[in-house]
Amino acid sequence: MSRSFTWHQVEPKDWRDKIGESRNAGFTFFDFLTGVDRENVEGNQMCEVVVHLAKADLSESHFISTQVLNELPSITDLIPAAQWHERECAEMFGVQFNGGNAKPLLRHENLGRPPLLKSTVLAARVLTPWPGGAEPEIKEDGRKVGNASRRRQRPPGVPENWLKP
Amino acid sequence: MKHSFIALIEDKCTSCMLCVRECPAWCISLDSHTIDVTEEGARRPRKVNVLDSFEIDYSLCMYCGVCIDVCPFDALAWDEHRALVTTNREDMLLGIEELGPSGSS
Repeated sequence: MSRSFTWHQVEPKDWRDKIGESRNAGFTFFDFLTGVDRENVEGNQMCEVVVHLAKADLSESHFISTQVLNELPSITDLIPAAQWHERECAEMFGVQFNGGNAKPLLRHENLGRPPLLKSTVLAARVLTPWPGGAEPEIKEDGRKVGNASRRRQRPPGVPENWLKP
Repeated sequence: MKHSFIALIEDKCTSCMLCVRECPAWCISLDSHTIDVTEEGARRPRKVNVLDSFEIDYSLCMYCGVCIDVCPFDALAWDEHRALVTTNREDMLLGIEELGPSGSS
């Protein structure tokens, strides 16, 4: 069986309309709703929210996505099954779904920053020494042997002043 | 080839630290020292890194293969055998001896 997938990028104001339109066009199977952190992409402080809707026989799929700053209207009145996913997305990506169920899903309320955002610092990383920080060319007494690098190394993907308290 | 183990081919490793620094799980650690090698006919001795220790902590490794990708000398490779199944975390810290490719020992 061949399956067709179509992507639709919409503005947040058209979010509910587009999903309602797809649902009424026969895309009644709700697969998932999730967030994608776009914070570091093109300098936007944004999170993307994606919904996958399919026809009941799974022959056709719609992926509907939108760029949000931090809030989006809830779609739980259109698709009740989306509630669990919206609560998860709210908790993990910090997107507020207006009109949805705001009760936390797994985490305690107000427990630090949303953990799946790239900008969220993992505390364990600060406490654990980074093995890549070792410089075999620099001996314990500070003596340099061989081609010791001039620049202090830091872990990839970690902000510059991150390891400083 | 099964992606069940990351083997170290010790002879190829130059202790460049790339795998240690790129590992997202921070599970590799390495120590080395430099020696002078004088070759016949060479004007001055050549500096060569000698690997003292190389450890992969398989309790942290998530088998992403980034270390294999970044190694410029192909000193790391996917391998068929598996890290130990154990209840002791220290048993999952494998050194140079245990990391050899299958068939080498």
